[in-house]
Amino acid sequence: MSYPTKEEKLAALKVTEPSEYELGCVDLVKPGDYEIGVQRTNDMVDEGYEVFMRSSRSSMGVAGDSIVAIFNARGDLVNASAGTYLHAIIPPIVIKFILKRYSENPGINDGDVWYTNDALYGGIHNPDQCAIMPVFFDGDLVAWTAALSHTTETGAIEPGGMPLTATSRFEEGMNLPPMRVGQNFRINSDILEMFAAFGIRATDNVTVDMRARATTCDRVRVRLLEMFEREGKEFAIGLLRKMLIEAEEGARKRVSHWCDGVYRNVTFSDAAGLQPGLIRNCVMTMTKKGDHLAFDFTGTSPENPSSYNAHPQAVVGHMANYIYEYVFHDLPVSSATFQAVDFIFPENSMLSPDARAATSNSVMACTGVMSSVANCISRARFASDEWTQVAASQGNGGNAIVIAGISQWGANFADMIAYPINTEGQGARATSDGMDAYGFPWCGFGRAPDVESMENEFPLLLPFSSHWKDSGGAGKHRGGVGTAQLWVTHNVPMLFQMAIADNSSIQTPQPLFGGYSQPTVPGIVLDGVDVKELMAKAKAGAGSISFEGLLSGDFGGRVVTSQYGSQIHPVLDGQTVIVGLSTGGTGYGDPLDRDPAAVEVDVRKNLVSIGQAHSLYGVVVDPTSGRVDDGATTARRADLVEQRLARGVPYDEFEATWSTRRPDESIMQWFGSWPEGNVVNPVMRP
Amino acid sequence: MGTLHFAEYIDANLDTERWSCHECGQDLGDLRGNYKRGLLVAERDPREIHEPVLEGEYTFAPKSDWIRIIEFYCPRCGRQVETQYLPPGHPLTQDTELDVDAVKQRIAAGVVRINDDGKLEAAR
Repeated sequence: MSYPTKEEKLAALKVTEPSEYELGCVDLVKPGDYEIGVQRTNDMVDEGYEVFMRSSRSSMGVAGDSIVAIFNARGDLVNASAGTYLHAIIPPIVIKFILKRYSENPGINDGDVWYTNDALYGGIHNPDQCAIMPVFFDGDLVAWTAALSHTTETGAIEPGGMPLTATSRFEEGMNLPPMRVGQNFRINSDILEMFAAFGIRATDNVTVDMRARATTCDRVRVRLLEMFEREGKEFAIGLLRKMLIEAEEGARKRVSHWCDGVYRNVTFSDAAGLQPGLIRNCVMTMTKKGDHLAFDFTGTSPENPSSYNAHPQAVVGHMANYIYEYVFHDLPVSSATFQAVDFIFPENSMLSPDARAATSNSVMACTGVMSSVANCISRARFASDEWTQVAASQGNGGNAIVIAGISQWGANFADMIAYPINTEGQGARATSDGMDAYGFPWCGFGRAPDVESMENEFPLLLPFSSHWKDSGGAGKHRGGVGTAQLWVTHNVPMLFQMAIADNSSIQTPQPLFGGYSQPTVPGIVLDGVDVKELMAKAKAGAGSISFEGLLSGDFGGRVVTSQYGSQIHPVLDGQTVIVGLSTGGTGYGDPLDRDPAAVEVDVRKNLVSIGQAHSLYGVVVDPTSGRVDDGATTARRADLVEQRLARGVPYDEFEATWSTRRPDESIMQWFGSWPEGNVVNPVMRP
Repeated sequence: MGTLHFAEYIDANLDTERWSCHECGQDLGDLRGNYKRGLLVAERDPREIHEPVLEGEYTFAPKSDWIRIIEFYCPRCGRQVETQYLPPGHPLTQDTELDVDAVKQRIAAGVVRINDDGKLEAAR
């Protein structure tokens, strides 16, 4: 075996040393020409991103859960358009692996298409697949292009590409190390057949998405060559290297403004796959010194025998989601911005598991990482002139609904519904609320498909989709609310469904500066009711179908609750597939500091209940007029402050009592030793 | 040297090397220590904050035997300075250890300065 080690993968994220020739080329790139050149690369990857979405077949590809990128000849990421920033971490590792291992045999040639989806070799998880093409000019390798997206079928033991019951990588379907899948600008037919065989549940998704990646790589390759022709080889090579130099300088300058120190965040989750249990899914210790950052994950729970593990570079990818979106948003998406960042991953933690580990749900394993990086950087950044960019964590629910079967058009399908995951609420910001139903924390620029498109594509009906009241974390600035949707089987006798989610028993994200997190997410099904009959009655004037009506039992039948995550199971025509719940974002600041007028607006818009306005915000809203009672609000808030001062005790006194407790042993099977989180029972994977 | 508006409700005085409440000025302790030690602490049942909407095991509220909400208040003005969601008995997180010497050194060296808003910015 020759898969790269953790150290090799992390080293590959660093920018290569420039050669004398490259530095000479850099000198040719003059101010003005440089900015125009940068914009040209922006245009190339933006065009590629559009081509990619329009060429893809699976829901995630169509939604834009993808990235299109340009690299220099050595494999350093120079610029990208996304989508989903976490993909940016993969190709530098893969290209440097190809250069090191395959330059002689089988060789790297003009017209090659290379491919991988294996997290062991640098990926995030195997649904995230990567096509790469070398760019040759005058016979020389001068650059690379890549296109990556999430395809929701891999031929695993369950449909959807993220099997919940996988206990090792051997149950996760297709895992391809970096390999050549095309030559002379054509994808090899035998390879395409292999993809079709792995993707037999959804052949079109798998093969069309694979072609879309290659098509996109080639479009950007052609545009790069046009620049080489027009501007000259030396200018283009100098431009790509200069972009790396400028990006690194920009990143270091930004970090240097933050306060030096050590920052920590700790998060928890409540399940490994479908097995409930308390997991400390991230202990992050961030040390900021000058223009350098170091992230240490010591203390994170051990690896577990589910697919909720992540290899180290996948963890870095999840940090990239936040860092490229919130911190380096005005710099190119570039390897160079991570040049001054180092990582420490303890062996055999769930964030650095054994090679045999299942990691297809690494995206769920990393929800705590996404929350922690937002929290640590926000704390370090608040005392700088960038404080307005500070934000509380996203909710990071990622509650994914997988459906499979034969569609109303007679076609096989296995997919993840893109709408619910793309309508989560944003974390509250330092100067404003989080956006309601803003999008997908993993994919800041993805888009929720139109309801009509989904109903046309899949045998589904969506009787309602609405903002989910009280789902935004309370705070001086409120977390954006998520959405609630009702999904019903339609036009086919049955389909199969499963749900990938945790956060039914506890929430993972930590809020910021005195706010609260979002609520937990129960799995809800309306049992004993044919929803289509219900809709027919509603159309005849017997009321409407709403989330609140469903919860209050207005529709008859039985509201059945469970954990949101569920095994694959059949759902008959007219029956509830699930009530989709897209989480809200976390809150920022003391809720008692929220402007009462803002709470009044929230209540009027049905985003916050009158009850929550009273209990958490201390705002008294008249249920008849919908207006704030100023006098009653002042009194209520004063009373809440008095309650705080009455129940609060000094830190040492609190800790003396608190530290004698621990959770019940029945939920501690995944945690590791208490409270260190060290390995207690090594995972055995035959 | 000046005072940093360090967090939403926390100031850091680099001259006296003391933490204080940004809202009321209450002293919160040594800048080289944990500012949370200067705050009042309370444990809340998560169902008081996230009220159950449904009956049964899964209700929209966190399970109270899995997680508790720890609230930190300014002892003078009662501001809720921080919150943490922690399993019962889990060590409280010291979220910040300010590197006082490094910050002072960079200010003294003229690399950064504290602006009128109490924020670090490039000195030149």
